[in-house]
Amino acid sequence: MNFGWQLLWRQKKAVAGLIIVAALCLMALFAPILAPTDPGERVGRSHQPPTVEHYFGTTKMGRDVYAQFVWGARPSLAVGFATGLFITALGTIIGLVAGYFGGRTDATLDLITNAVLVIPNIPLLILLASFAGTVGPVAIMMIIALTSWPWGARMTRSQTMALRNREFVTAARMVGEPSWRIIFVEILPSLVPLIGINIVGSIIYAIVAQTTLEYLGFGDPLNVTWGTMLYNAQNSSAIIVGAWWDISAPAAGIALVGLGLALLNFTFDEIANPQLRSGPALSRWLRLSRLRKRELEAAR
Amino acid sequence: MRIPLRRLGVYFVAFLFAIVMNFTVPRLMPGSPVDGMIAQLGPRATPAAIEAIKARFGAVEQPILGQFVDYITGLARFDLGVSVKYYPQTVTQVLARSAGWTAFLVTTAIIFSLCVGVSLGAVAAWRRGGRFDAFVSPFSVVLIAIPPVIIGLATLFTFGVTLRWFPVGYAYNPDLDPGLNFTFFGSVFWHAVMPVLTLSPYLIGEFQTTMRSSMISVLGEDYVTMGRAKGLGETAVMFSYAARNAMLPVLTNLALMLGAVFGGSIVTEIVFNYPGLGLTLFTASVARDYPVIQGQLLLMTMATLGANLLVDILYGVVDPRIREERA
Repeated sequence: MNFGWQLLWRQKKAVAGLIIVAALCLMALFAPILAPTDPGERVGRSHQPPTVEHYFGTTKMGRDVYAQFVWGARPSLAVGFATGLFITALGTIIGLVAGYFGGRTDATLDLITNAVLVIPNIPLLILLASFAGTVGPVAIMMIIALTSWPWGARMTRSQTMALRNREFVTAARMVGEPSWRIIFVEILPSLVPLIGINIVGSIIYAIVAQTTLEYLGFGDPLNVTWGTMLYNAQNSSAIIVGAWWDISAPAAGIALVGLGLALLNFTFDEIANPQLRSGPALSRWLRLSRLRKRELEAAR
Repeated sequence: MRIPLRRLGVYFVAFLFAIVMNFTVPRLMPGSPVDGMIAQLGPRATPAAIEAIKARFGAVEQPILGQFVDYITGLARFDLGVSVKYYPQTVTQVLARSAGWTAFLVTTAIIFSLCVGVSLGAVAAWRRGGRFDAFVSPFSVVLIAIPPVIIGLATLFTFGVTLRWFPVGYAYNPDLDPGLNFTFFGSVFWHAVMPVLTLSPYLIGEFQTTMRSSMISVLGEDYVTMGRAKGLGETAVMFSYAARNAMLPVLTNLALMLGAVFGGSIVTEIVFNYPGLGLTLFTASVARDYPVIQGQLLLMTMATLGANLLVDILYGVVDPRIREERA
């Protein structure tokens, strides 16, 4: 037990990130208990600063910002996480297939991957969204996922190519296992750390893209999310009239998710690539060597 | 300087993809966008304008392949159609008005972030495990994860509205006449400060992270040891030996990130009411001015591809190994 705590304490950044993300998820889950008011209900006068009754003040329409913040976490987090998983699944499968089969399959898939990678995503998203009119969460998810899988595909492809000629894969091939089994049962488990990094990175990207689209007004304005809260606040010129609470509640929510996920990703990166480590072990070693140097100089 | 044929193939496919998207998406959408656009035009809807819009969006009796050929020939003549919102003006004219401002904003932000991010990354790698590294490196990862909207709104509120340090809109003081004088340039600079500071955090984070990891692997190379063995000073080894070579992955990353930078610039321009491509795109999307939205996608794709090509060329210049391989 003691050892477990020590291990956690050493990964301070990861634990902090995990706590932030978990707290926000719990808040979204228990929204009906935490904020019994209906987020779409008019509860007070327009743009009231925070008070005891309305912790985060009211919007231009007189709605409770706190209730909107708590309820808005649901679609924002759900779409972000689902899209992140979807992006990762797409990228991983394409990368695995390209890397394992090689040859013409790889050439074609790699060409497509690199081509989609260089097309600017947000303008493409805006083109798709503007022709579709206002788009629901599922459409936003599809649009984001279909334009942003190449990062993951590239990473997975190069890792798969490195694994393809290892003994255990050759052995599986000799035994006569079908390709799909080699890919998903033999190779996939070795890619788990990479997939972890990919998932967290994709969720971060999905949340950024979703916020951007909704802020630009492509989300369903009746659906309360952090992105549409920003859009509504911007439309009611909340910043210019000094209603900072209207903007800062959704902004803080999005920034916090970003912070939590980034801290997690930083730790994943260090685990997958020990060279990048900057943790306590390294600084302890550096401190010891400095001490030793000073002692040696003193002895002289 | 020869660029590998494969890279050119990638750019060709990417460009083709953007064109095909532009061509097919309006034709696939339920309900014709044409009627909406003609309604937008209102009294300005001359027969010629209606005809032009119909031809562009597929509301004509013509096989789909013929329409596509017409579309491509139109593009080859730089004909992007007419804008619905600013009707007598063509899309090319509308985009030309604002492209310069976006180019200025994006270039300034990239140069500024390159200087800051690369130095931070180099120093963090050099003092790996130190206090500087332990703070700056996780902080950079956090910077990447925060959307530019949030940073933009926070900057606007703090420095624009509350402290009133910087102007909160336009690219220069509208009372001034654009000209080659100090007052005008001063005004342009002053108006660009907040947008550039909004675009930069993401870029700085990316550059710092890439530079740090590439510098760490370079520090193990023999030539760095050689530099130290020669008895050169810390700074000389760090910058002329290690950092110079560690820059290469940063360059590749820069070219790939350009699409994301354009995405950031769209949001930044909207937050700060800056008259660039992003603001044009936003007003176009509100007015359902589809020709402008399409032209925008093509222009930004072309800019990204151009930058990638430039980096490919630059890569050959900077890295003699690649130069020799190709020769």
